[in-house]
Amino acid sequence: MIAWSGRKKALMILAFIGPTLLGIIVFNIYPITYNSIISLTNRNQFHPNPDCSLKVINLIEPSCWPMFQESSGVSKPYSWQDPFVKNYSTLLGQLLSKVGSFALVQFMICFVPLIAAQQVNKYLDRQLTRPISGMVIWLLGLLITMIAFWFIGNKAIKTLQENSDFFVVVFRTILFVILTIPINYIVGLILALVLNTEYIKGRTFFRVAMIIPWAASTMFIIISLIWQFFFRDVGVINQVLSVFGINGPAWLQQPGLAFGVILLVNLWFSFPFCFTIILGGLQAIPADQYEAAEMDGATYSQQLTNITLPLLRPTVIPAIILSAIGAGGFQMFGTVWAITAGGPSRGAGVPGATEMVMIYAYKQVFQYNAYAKAGAFAVIVFIFLFIMTLYSLRITRITKGAYE
Amino acid sequence: MSRRPKTLVLIFQYGFLLFMTFFSLYPLWFVILASGRSGQRLFTLKLVDMLIPTSFTFENYLTLLSGDKYPFTSWMRNSFMVAAITTIACMLIATSAAFAFSRFRFYGRSAGLILLLAIQAFPGVLSLVPVAQLLSAFGLYANLFGLVLAYVVGSLVFTTWLLKGYFDTIPIEIEEAAMIDGCGPIQSFFLIGLPMAKPALAVTALLAFMGGWGEYVFASVLIPAPDAKRTLMVGMYSLANTPSIPWGLFAAGAVMTIIPVMIVYLYFQRYLIGGLTLGGVKG
Repeated sequence: MIAWSGRKKALMILAFIGPTLLGIIVFNIYPITYNSIISLTNRNQFHPNPDCSLKVINLIEPSCWPMFQESSGVSKPYSWQDPFVKNYSTLLGQLLSKVGSFALVQFMICFVPLIAAQQVNKYLDRQLTRPISGMVIWLLGLLITMIAFWFIGNKAIKTLQENSDFFVVVFRTILFVILTIPINYIVGLILALVLNTEYIKGRTFFRVAMIIPWAASTMFIIISLIWQFFFRDVGVINQVLSVFGINGPAWLQQPGLAFGVILLVNLWFSFPFCFTIILGGLQAIPADQYEAAEMDGATYSQQLTNITLPLLRPTVIPAIILSAIGAGGFQMFGTVWAITAGGPSRGAGVPGATEMVMIYAYKQVFQYNAYAKAGAFAVIVFIFLFIMTLYSLRITRITKGAYE
Repeated sequence: MSRRPKTLVLIFQYGFLLFMTFFSLYPLWFVILASGRSGQRLFTLKLVDMLIPTSFTFENYLTLLSGDKYPFTSWMRNSFMVAAITTIACMLIATSAAFAFSRFRFYGRSAGLILLLAIQAFPGVLSLVPVAQLLSAFGLYANLFGLVLAYVVGSLVFTTWLLKGYFDTIPIEIEEAAMIDGCGPIQSFFLIGLPMAKPALAVTALLAFMGGWGEYVFASVLIPAPDAKRTLMVGMYSLANTPSIPWGLFAAGAVMTIIPVMIVYLYFQRYLIGGLTLGGVKG
């Protein structure tokens, strides 16, 4: 019965991971394949049912399988899209034309200064003396990037967003991520710095209080509904404002304000996680580093920029990437769904002001029945997330090596 | 860092801490207050009533639990059942897979682990339709067991990774010693692996339970009707989206949904952070 090696080992391994494998194939790989194939058809509200005479569709569609055949409806069946990749080209809009690709190149060029700044910093790190501090170079790079955006990037984004819901939604989601991640982590960092000191009284109480939103965050739908109540037209915030004689705005009806509310609620959900991660990182920094710095007469801000932040990097960067592509960042769904449901509306057929990637996909499937289009959308998003996941694993491995 | 800072800095620090405490606690405190108010209004016109309870009744709780207006108790039972079965099934399946990934060396092991994680990147919202079609083909659509099946697989990858990370930290020497004495993989799994991984098992079970308890999207699509068959989250969402919203009842329901789970979660918090970092960061 011993099967650590040899012929029986393979059987043993299969017995151990078989159920997991089966589950993954049925509930993960099958949906991905299904989506990719459907994305090449014209399935929408006018063609909801499969055409079982097509071989591939016959294979993939459960209602085509012999044992379930009678359940299929009577309306017009869907079949291959004509031309084959039409869903993708509609989604990507002008990207596939000359103007679009030119705009994409322009958009990419805007980020060149940031990459240059990183390379310059890398080069300077290897030199014995540093003529300029790294922060200045980063700020310079950021400044040039912003100027480039002002002149080229803005126009490029507008060109890409023309006739393409995809780019509207994706750029909005990216904007959300680049706003929400720094906000969450900076709040978490300040909290962790304050609570890592010894002179603050009642640290245990504060730490528990800061973790409570995290404990509640798995029931995000209910909490989001409570937050929605705070920001209703006659909600708590406006009620409090009216006590002071201020007429509060309609928070969830104005695009900018609704976006801000989403950022705030996401901060509530996410900052405990950031705080905990950063606090763990802070406590792993050896105290003698600070003692040595103090001996040399370093001020608090010097200690912060030269010891604390660099030593926090290996803990924080993997966490940042994970939360950027996770449910609190790029794949944000529940909070937005409960608070604004993608609104406020900006007109019929146009994505609403807080409609992010996942909300858009959900609406395409369940409200407009545009399943093929949503499938194409899913495939593009999946490729992006797949690459990002592999990248985050790589980063984790690199930083882990640097840490040990 | 141990120096005492200036008083002004100290005031700012305490001010920030108090502000953040208020920010993180007030929404929950507000719901508790509102659940004790009778009638439809969740807020009052008086500022004092928004901060401290001037009167508190359990009327809303009793109305909900009696189940006259809304099938709250059956929502709760459904949710509990779904979460509990998900947890048990997930533990059974994921522990063995994690053990295999941690202890055996076989072709495609590390590639398989990474592929698991990358496949998970497919947006769940979009795998809903194929999953729903598959479940309806097997007669499990609008059935709690179909939902459990979807949940189990949904949390498999995360659980497997977490447990695999923990199994990796258990020294293999114990098993090698047992191996020399003639212990096979199955015995080693049940007699050495599982007992030593108890803390990680507790954490994983808790996370799987919370995941099943709080999930909304799958539950809303896979259990369309009737009202009494829904889970808690879907029920509460529909309660908050009725034309004249019974806010008092909603608040009472929210308190009953959130607070018990939160207390358990806070109790396990320290194991949780340890388990998570063991599996994910250091793994």
